[in-house]
Amino acid sequence: MATATAIDRLRDPSEKTLGVMLLAPAFLLLALIVVYPIGKLIWNSFFDLRLSGGSGIKFVGLENYALVFKDPDFWNAAKNTVLITLITVPGALVVGMGLAMLANLPFKRKWPVRLALLLPWALPLAFAGLIFAWFFHTEYGVVNDIVRRAVSPAEPAMWLLRPNWAFAAICLTIIWKTSSFMALILLAGLQMIPKSLYEAAEVDGASKWQQFWQITIPMLMPSIIVALIFRTITALQTFDIPYTMTKGGPGNSTETLAMLIHKTTIDYLDVGYGSTLAVCMFVLSLCVTAFYLKRIGKNA
Amino acid sequence: MKSIFDSKSLRLIAAGLVVVNGFFPAVWILLTSLKTEAELVSKPITYWPHAPTLGNYIQAFTDQPLLKYLGNSLAVALSATVFSLLVSALAAYAIARLNLKRRQLILTCIVASSMFPLVTLLVPIFETMRAFGLLNSYTALVLPYIVLNLPVCTLVLVSFFQSIPKDLENAAMIDGCTRMGALVRVVVPLAAPGVFTAGILAFVNSWDEFLLALSLNSNPNFRTLPVGITLYQGEFTFPWPIISAALIVAIVPIAVLIAIFQERVVGGLTQGGLKG
Amino acid sequence: MMRRTYLTALTAAAALVVGLASATTAFAQQTTLRVFSGGANQRPDLMRKLFDQYQAKNPGVKIDIETGGATSELQRQYLSTVLNAKDSAIDIYMIDIVNPAQYFGAGWLEPLDSYIGKPADVLKPYLPVYSTSNVVDGKLAAMPAFADAMFMYYRKDLLDKHGVKEPKTWDELAAAATKIQKAEGNANLQGLSIQGAPIEGAVCTFLLPYWGQGKDFNDASGKMTLDKAAATKGLATWLSMVDQGVIKKNVAEVKTPDTVNEFKAGQVIFAINWGFAWDRFKDDKDSTVQGKVGVMPLPAMTGGKSATCVGGWQWAVSAFSKNKPAAANLVKFMSSPEASKFLAQEGSLLATYQSVYTDADVVKAVPWFKDAANVVIAGKSRPISKDYGQVSDVIRTTTSAVLARTKTPADGVSEIESRLARVMR
Repeated sequence: MATATAIDRLRDPSEKTLGVMLLAPAFLLLALIVVYPIGKLIWNSFFDLRLSGGSGIKFVGLENYALVFKDPDFWNAAKNTVLITLITVPGALVVGMGLAMLANLPFKRKWPVRLALLLPWALPLAFAGLIFAWFFHTEYGVVNDIVRRAVSPAEPAMWLLRPNWAFAAICLTIIWKTSSFMALILLAGLQMIPKSLYEAAEVDGASKWQQFWQITIPMLMPSIIVALIFRTITALQTFDIPYTMTKGGPGNSTETLAMLIHKTTIDYLDVGYGSTLAVCMFVLSLCVTAFYLKRIGKNA
Repeated sequence: MKSIFDSKSLRLIAAGLVVVNGFFPAVWILLTSLKTEAELVSKPITYWPHAPTLGNYIQAFTDQPLLKYLGNSLAVALSATVFSLLVSALAAYAIARLNLKRRQLILTCIVASSMFPLVTLLVPIFETMRAFGLLNSYTALVLPYIVLNLPVCTLVLVSFFQSIPKDLENAAMIDGCTRMGALVRVVVPLAAPGVFTAGILAFVNSWDEFLLALSLNSNPNFRTLPVGITLYQGEFTFPWPIISAALIVAIVPIAVLIAIFQERVVGGLTQGGLKG
Repeated sequence: MMRRTYLTALTAAAALVVGLASATTAFAQQTTLRVFSGGANQRPDLMRKLFDQYQAKNPGVKIDIETGGATSELQRQYLSTVLNAKDSAIDIYMIDIVNPAQYFGAGWLEPLDSYIGKPADVLKPYLPVYSTSNVVDGKLAAMPAFADAMFMYYRKDLLDKHGVKEPKTWDELAAAATKIQKAEGNANLQGLSIQGAPIEGAVCTFLLPYWGQGKDFNDASGKMTLDKAAATKGLATWLSMVDQGVIKKNVAEVKTPDTVNEFKAGQVIFAINWGFAWDRFKDDKDSTVQGKVGVMPLPAMTGGKSATCVGGWQWAVSAFSKNKPAAANLVKFMSSPEASKFLAQEGSLLATYQSVYTDADVVKAVPWFKDAANVVIAGKSRPISKDYGQVSDVIRTTTSAVLARTKTPADGVSEIESRLARVMR
């Protein structure tokens, strides 16, 4: 009884006010930095705004969006982007999980594994792409050198000049680079799982595999969801690695949505259509991650 | 059934693979930074430099004010990290703990800001910074970086705050703490791995960022490292050895920071706190 | 009486001093011009020397150099943001020769007619190519900074050793290369090195054999006049050389620096590259081909004529500059014959004036200009279009795909035609 009254007294009458105060800095910054740009972007998407035309701005309503649906380049880029997402998100999760668990093990000297885990994250994204493009180079690449020495000195494969191989090389590079991000989030989550749970399971006779699926994964679920949300959003926006590795080539077989938007806005100076594509990418990202966001929002 | 996590030798092999995977590109860059450009077209390719030279490092530092770029990047990244954590922690607490009606909408709004490709937001952001007279300053980059880091940091902290039982805070508040006091004294320490994780994510994101740094801080005095490194190349030249040297200069501070703080990120600070 | 005169004199003197002071202040009012002059390959060091010369002659002007991107690509990224935001911070831009039409069309460049003169008169003494590339909608959009062209470099020593003459057609070149490759027996010796990666230079890779058949890509009004059969034949010529082993199989990975590095290492017989390569072959410490390099006009297709791609850079005044007259004046100086001669002598940068090529001092300083002159003067410009960004992207990606053998030449040419038909009408 006494505890109930105490807690009643503690419940802030101004919870709403506190909420506003706490969220104010974040929303103030959002308003300052991105609300105007996003608003302008959505506004532009309803106009035919091509700088090279010099013909000025023409309101076209939803015509740009209709053009998007008929645009074979858009569908090609969307297909590539979705494929990259479907491959690299689970890929990075699995590799990241493995890395996180290895980093969590009681080695005598922990820093080599942990540093190795985070070093890929330290390499600037654009240069990671260039380095891996070098690794896959037909003549000067390490991959072909190893193949030549270990397997056969036959004709070296031209990895980046065959659409499927180039795609695979790009996915590999992305997984290499982003598994660090996943591992970091998962590792922090792993640390929060009390050892006592494992000890109890050990006593009950559960194998390591069972412990993994019945303790680790459920306890890690919040972290997994967070990691998945951002890995997915960034996967849908993949730009730097394919741009530096193949420039979308050969042809446009490795061109992603973000590359198409970049090309349309910066090279073609077609700001209107570029904005339309960007809004489409936003809608796609929102749909894909809405499910995850609901789960986080629900957790009390 | 013996799993990989039981056998010591298998564990070491796995660890070895991880180390190779993480270090190989960095080691390759290091070796390249000691070679000459001519050596890079030799067939078959060489791994160890024929005649290791530090000339590339000297040229990297003399061709451009690399140390200044390093200083700028550190200043911007550190400030952005500190402020990102501050703003995110407050927002995350509100979302995780307060009984707000439109909690989901708020969270979606914050995360949604990261769903637009930055290249399409560049011009308006440039105009905003110019209107405030902030172009070519640290602030010009720190403010957008906080916004760029907000989604990830907030979400990470929300999930960590949510995993800490409310009873602990309530206990603290019964003992006389205010809500904010409970946040600082109970929640944050317990979510320390989450806080450090969000911190490292914010730091590396800010360190790596290129587009905004290129457009907003074109003055060499405020230029950051990623932009500076692209300036070693020319329309027709791409001097890998010199660029590698600059890349090593860019990676080493982060590697050192990580090596120092990895205990904090991964360390068992929380092993005791959740017994209650 | 004395005092009054004394006071008057004093007042007069004071007035004179104040008057002089304010007059000198007015004169000392400085204009600062900010110039965006590209990356390392555009020789900002030499430009700085020219700016210093200009500052000495014009005391009220101070010139600052800005750098915002080392490559054409990164510069476009930067300029696109800054100019889209109508920024007035930069007064003068150095832009690629292919950019005036697009940037002028976007309203980013100030027409120079009222400051320098009518295009027809102003551009007469320059190389012929500028009369098309720098004139947009009849207005003068940019002034030449320095020129560039693609040359055919070759190993004089190898040709002499095996008794081979300078090839005049692509077929002759393929035969010459094959002969030397067989005789040398070196598996790493390439016959011909061209750039097949999807870089800007790949547009030239497409156009060279096409122009070599005497064809044009567009007419004077900008309408596309693509001869599909000729274009297909051009691309097929490259591929047949790959089949013969003259060009290496992974040509679609080759960028400009790769050709230069491989030639310097002695791995190439014939190489197509820009003018800067000459000095690299001659002067670089790690060059194994010093003294062994010759330069000649590009071969023609059998029955056609030799043609090369013109490159180089231009000076343009920003439409948003607050110092347009002063900027235009500086641009006039930087594109003068004296400036062109200076850049030729000090940096081997190809001259924009026909007369400079035959100037005695220049010929003494850079003897190879004699051979270069005819090549540059006969050079053709890439398609001039307000949508050049799109034109370039389509041509270079398709050419690279054809060279990577993921598309046939016929399919590639059809694609170029269908994509650009809308744009180049």
